[in-house]
Formats: sequence, structure tokens, C-alpha cells
Amino acid sequence: MFDEEGYRKLFVEESRENHENIVNNLLALETGDDQQAAIDEIFRSAHTLKGMSASMGFDAMEHLCHSMEDVFSLIRSGRREATVSLTDLLLNCTDAIEEMLDAIEAGGAPSDEQSASLVLELQAFAEEEEGGEHEPSPGAAPPAEIPAEPAEDADGRPLYTLTVAIDPSSTMKDVRAMLLLQNLEELGTIHSTTPARELLEDGKFDGPFEILIESEAGEDALRTIASGTELSLLALSTPQSLLDAPPVIPPAACEETQKPEPAPEPQAPRPAKAEKSREIKNIRVDIQRLDQMMNLVEDLVINRGRLEQIAKKHGIKEFDEALSMVGRSVSDLQNLMMGIRMMPLERIFNRLPRVVRDVANHDGKEVEFTIEGGETELDRSMMDGLSDPLLHLIRNGVNHGIETPEIRKASGKHPKGLLRLSARRDKDNVVIEIEDDGAGIDHEKLRKKGVERGLMTPEAAANATKDELVGLLFEPGFSTAETITDISGRGVGLDVVKKTIESLKGTIKVETEVGRGTMFELVLPPTMAIIDVMMVHINGMRCAIPISNVVEVAQTRPEAIHRIGNTEAILLRDQTLPMHRLEDMFGRAEKSNTLVVLQNDGRRCCIVVDTVDGQQEVVVKPLSNIAGNCRGISGITIPGDGDVVPVLDVNTMI
Amino acid sequence: MGRILIVDDTMFMRTLLKNILFSGGHDIVGEAADGAEALARYQELKPDLVTMDVVMPKMNGIEALKAIKAADPAAKVIMCTAVGQEQMVKLAVKSGARGYIVKPFQAPKVLEEVKNVLSA
Repeated sequence: MFDEEGYRKLFVEESRENHENIVNNLLALETGDDQQAAIDEIFRSAHTLKGMSASMGFDAMEHLCHSMEDVFSLIRSGRREATVSLTDLLLNCTDAIEEMLDAIEAGGAPSDEQSASLVLELQAFAEEEEGGEHEPSPGAAPPAEIPAEPAEDADGRPLYTLTVAIDPSSTMKDVRAMLLLQNLEELGTIHSTTPARELLEDGKFDGPFEILIESEAGEDALRTIASGTELSLLALSTPQSLLDAPPVIPPAACEETQKPEPAPEPQAPRPAKAEKSREIKNIRVDIQRLDQMMNLVEDLVINRGRLEQIAKKHGIKEFDEALSMVGRSVSDLQNLMMGIRMMPLERIFNRLPRVVRDVANHDGKEVEFTIEGGETELDRSMMDGLSDPLLHLIRNGVNHGIETPEIRKASGKHPKGLLRLSARRDKDNVVIEIEDDGAGIDHEKLRKKGVERGLMTPEAAANATKDELVGLLFEPGFSTAETITDISGRGVGLDVVKKTIESLKGTIKVETEVGRGTMFELVLPPTMAIIDVMMVHINGMRCAIPISNVVEVAQTRPEAIHRIGNTEAILLRDQTLPMHRLEDMFGRAEKSNTLVVLQNDGRRCCIVVDTVDGQQEVVVKPLSNIAGNCRGISGITIPGDGDVVPVLDVNTMI
Repeated sequence: MGRILIVDDTMFMRTLLKNILFSGGHDIVGEAADGAEALARYQELKPDLVTMDVVMPKMNGIEALKAIKAADPAAKVIMCTAVGQEQMVKLAVKSGARGYIVKPFQAPKVLEEVKNVLSA
């Protein structure tokens, strides 16, 4: 069955979804697109959160959600406006909820320190508007006409008086009374109740009440209905007639003499096909299990490669056929697995509007934040690493990029700055752009700062290209902002962002123009584990190069190689490319004329290889902690013959 | 024991209710996460009883109740509700709901109400 821990996980997960929904709709409320829809959504999510937390016994959270729901019920019925100060208060509430969820997820119970004062604030808010207003409940509908049965055939039918009490523990005694009356009405006609029916249905009664009903259904049927949930039948009087004269018919006799009509409609026999069992559309799987499965698939990929090598050696036709079938299944399985692990970027994008709002408010800026391509998918292992860098770049965009409304106006721009976050799939990569239309970065300022911080010699700075200057942004200890703010200057610089992105096998690039804005572009592989590589031999040793880094393979003549200082270069198709022999990595060996042209981030170089062995899909395993980081190598792979082959990290070579 | 369709927009509540009902020997034949799905599932499964959440996206519980009742006047629907929603539940009762259970659910009460509505 389902244990406590299972509930807790499900609770946290669905609560987070609802929490996010509240935050996003609070923000939508401010931008004012479809206010009613936003209010409805907040109300619904607060209500759902309340119900779930009550079920888990998290009282503090329940109270907080309840108060939020109350406030939104006022707003929904138009009795209160959603003001900025209210939005702030409600956002504080969502923060408190998030903290509680964190505590719950960590296995604890949320404390009510913070929430108690928020509840008071919310209540004060709800009450201050209540004064003088009349009380139409938002959900109340005009009382529906209850069809009364015709009274004319009343004479002769037995009358009963029921005395019923509702269990004091009942949470809605008015509804319970109403249900009872309604159910009784299916058996006959209710002539009166004491207290009156309206009072009963409004819950304005204490203790037992009486119902006078005329019915042919018989005592047992009445007894069943009147002893339902939370009901106790204290007395059932002997039937009398409505008119004084007619003789009293005992209920038993009544049943015999008068054919009792079946009260509920006869139920039609159910079609047999209704037995079809329910299909499950979605299941939730622990992410660790997915990781385990992914490891198994990786093993399969490795062993498929091994089998292929063995097959090549023996050349058995039947074996080859069977292997190619297995190979196809493994590929399909692998694709499927990677697909399952993919998550839409929305999962991390959704948090960002809140961040933008907070930073903008803090800095007194006006920002219009747009998100595009949230449906673009990434492997979840990437998702975890991407969250922090994105957060940083977004904060950065508002904090350093976009100017205050006054400055913007003065420079002829719209007072509201634009911040755009977009994601898209580009061939095998996912491209994420963060673009603002702010002040941009002054290259001359960078030049000066670079020298000041000792990152460049004055001579180098004087000759530095724009790209080189912008590259300074990613150097440790470089910050162009005059003062370190508590918003984006939390000791984390763009250098950390760059490192994180690179650890995800991605690249980061920045384009900026003074007065026009800045754009950061992140290019990420959608998944890290399995990649296409080109297998080569360098100086007699095997090595794998990610295919995404390979531009072409070329043959060259020794005379085309030129020496420039300590390095060699080659003129290839009118382009001068630096040439590396990787002798320090792979040892010195015979001269070869085969070149592989590599590229990373738009820059190119070439390396000398002995032979190109072909293209292969491999699993890249990170270097173990024992080996530590090894410059030039991003990991190792086992291509199938049991050999351990390094994977070249082109990024560090260019 | 009855064949029951559970309607709630959160898997949490559905699971909670499912386990309570299961412990009472009922057969959970289906689940739905909103009103529109509830109607479709009802027509497909023809359950003996539906537990219907009131507040849901797309089509709320009251609208779904009405739609189910329109399709099958004999349908037995009990509302899952919370303190403060009396007016909504009354509306549901007038629209043909046969019972109600209040969150946070207490297993004995839930089972009692389900048993009573099934046997009525």
C-alpha cells in the first residue's frame, strides 16, 4: 500500500505545483491580463493546498492557506481589490509556504512562527473590508425550487413523524439536514418540519428536530434514510392519516395492502463491457530508478559495441543478423530512456518571473519579462545544474542591464525595460538566450577594468579585440558594477556561471552593445551521457572526439605547415588554423598528414592524427575522483572492446 | 461493496481517498482529474458511486455533477468538500448529490457515508 513517506512525497510534489501556480498568477494579477482567471486560479490552488495540508496534519500551513483562500474569496466576489501591498503580503505567504514545503520535504514538520503573523495580517485585511457589507456568499446560488409533490392524492397515504438528531461532530449539520430532507422526499411528501425547513437548511437549530412525512415506502425505508451518516433516528411515530377521520393503518399492513412503489428508479442492468479496467495515463517514478535504468542502458550500449567487435572477428551471418536486431532495440531503448528523462525547461523558467519582480522592485526598475520556448526539453541531470546560472543571469539582467525608468526616458527609451528569456532546439543543441534592452557594456570600461584588476597588461588591453574584452566578464574577480549589490553580487560571478555551464558541456557567449543591451547565449547538449564521437588514433593511441566539435578531416602536405613563433599553423581553405600535435598528451611519433579540424564556440584549430577509425555512439563516464581533473580530457569511454579511451575536451584546447 | 470513480484534481487526494475506500473493501474502477474527464469516465465505466471534488480546474465539481446527473439521473455522487464550502455543497445537494464527505477525511466517516449512499 502507501506509506507515510509516499504520501509525503506526493504531497510535496503536488503542493509545489500549486504553490507555483499561486505565485505565477499573483504576478499575472499585477500585469493585469486576465485578472478573473488569475484570481480563480489562486483561489483554487490555495483551496487545494489547504485540503492537502489539513489531510497531512500540517496545521500551520492549513491555516495560512485557509486565510489566503478567504482573502481571495473576497477578491473573487469583487468586495476587495488586489492592491500592490496585498500582492506583497500574499507573495510573503507563498514564501512561507515554500519554506514549509522545504521543511516537510526534508522530513520535518513546518513551524508556524512566520505563518502565524501572516495569518493575522491576512485576517486583518479580510476584516477591514467586511464592515457594513451584506453577506452574499460567493458560491451561493438562488435557492432552487424544490418540486413539491401534488397534495391531492395525499389522502389515504400514511403519515409518519420522524424525530432525528444530527451527530454533534458533524462538520456541516445544515447540509446533512438538507440531504436528509431531500432523500426523504424521494420516499414521499414532507408536510412540515419543526423547526421550519429553512432554519434546518441554514443550520439554525440545536438538538433533535421533527419531520412530518407522508409516504407509502414503509417504515423500513424511512428508517434506513433517517439513520444515515451522522444521523440518529430517535423516534418514528406510528402512522396517522393526514385527515383526522381515516383509520390508522399499521405500517406492516400498509405494505401488504398497498403495493409499495419502488422509491428509486429501477436500475438498468449494467452493460458488461463496463468492466474494462481503467487505463493509467501517467505514473510517477523515482528519479533514482530512472538513473539506474539509464546506467543499465549505458551498459547495454557498451556491450553492444563489444558484441559488434566480436561479430566482426568471426563473420557469422546469422549472428550478425541477430546482433543488428538487438542493436536496433538497444538504440530504440536508449532513445526512449533519454526521452523519459527529458523535462520541459518550464520547470525552472517558472520560478523566474518572481525573481524579476523582486529584483525590479528592489531596484526601482520597470521590467517586462517574457519567456519563450519553455516547452523545450532538457535531460533532468542538466536541469539541476542550469537553475543557478539562469537565476544569476536573470538577476544580472535586471540589476546591471536594465536602467532605471528615469535614465531610460532620458535616453529616449520606453521607461519599461525588456528582458527576454528564450529557449529553442537548434540541431542537436538547446540554445537559451537571455537578452535585455538595457545599457549594454562599454568596451572601453572593460579595457580599463581589465588592466586595473591585473587581468591584462596595458599593451594587451590596448590591442584587445571586442571579443577578448567581453571575455573578461567571465574571469574570476571581475565585476563591472561599481558597487556589489545584495541582488546579484552574492559572491558569485559570471566566472562561476561559465564554469557551471562548461561542466554541463555547454558554452556561454555574450554580445553587448552600449545603449542597446546585452545578450547571453547558452548552448547546451540536451543530454550529457551518450554522445556521438569520432574515433581516431593519435600517435598510436586511441582517442575519441565529440562529433559536435569536428568540422572536417583533411589531408595536408608538410610544406603547407608554417611555424609562427612556438606554434605551428596551417593554411586551409584561405583560413589560418593553429595546429596542435598533442605530443605532450599522446607521446611523440611518426609524422602524419591527416588533420582533424575542430571547432568550439566559433573558434577553430586542427590536430594531427594518424588515422580516423570512424564514428560511434558512446557513453561518456566522468573521470573518477581518484584520477581528478585532467586538463584536455572531459571523460573516458569504453567503446566495446574493453579498451578505455579518453574523450578529448576540445573546449580547453582552443 | 461498490465500484467507485474518484474525481479530484490532485493525485495526493485521490491516493488518500483510494486507500481509505480500498480498506473498506471497495473497488476503485477509475480516477479523473477534472470535471470533463469525470463525465467521460463515468459514461465509460458506469460506476456505482462517484466521489467528486468541488473545486477543480476546467469543469468544477458542481458542473460535473450536473452533467453526470443529466446523463444518468440515477447516478450516485458524493461531494468531497471542506469547511467553509457549505453553500457549494448545498448547491450540489440540490443538483442531486447524494452525500458529502469533509476534508481532512476521516476514514470511518468516509466509509460510513459511502456505505449509506450505496445502500440507499
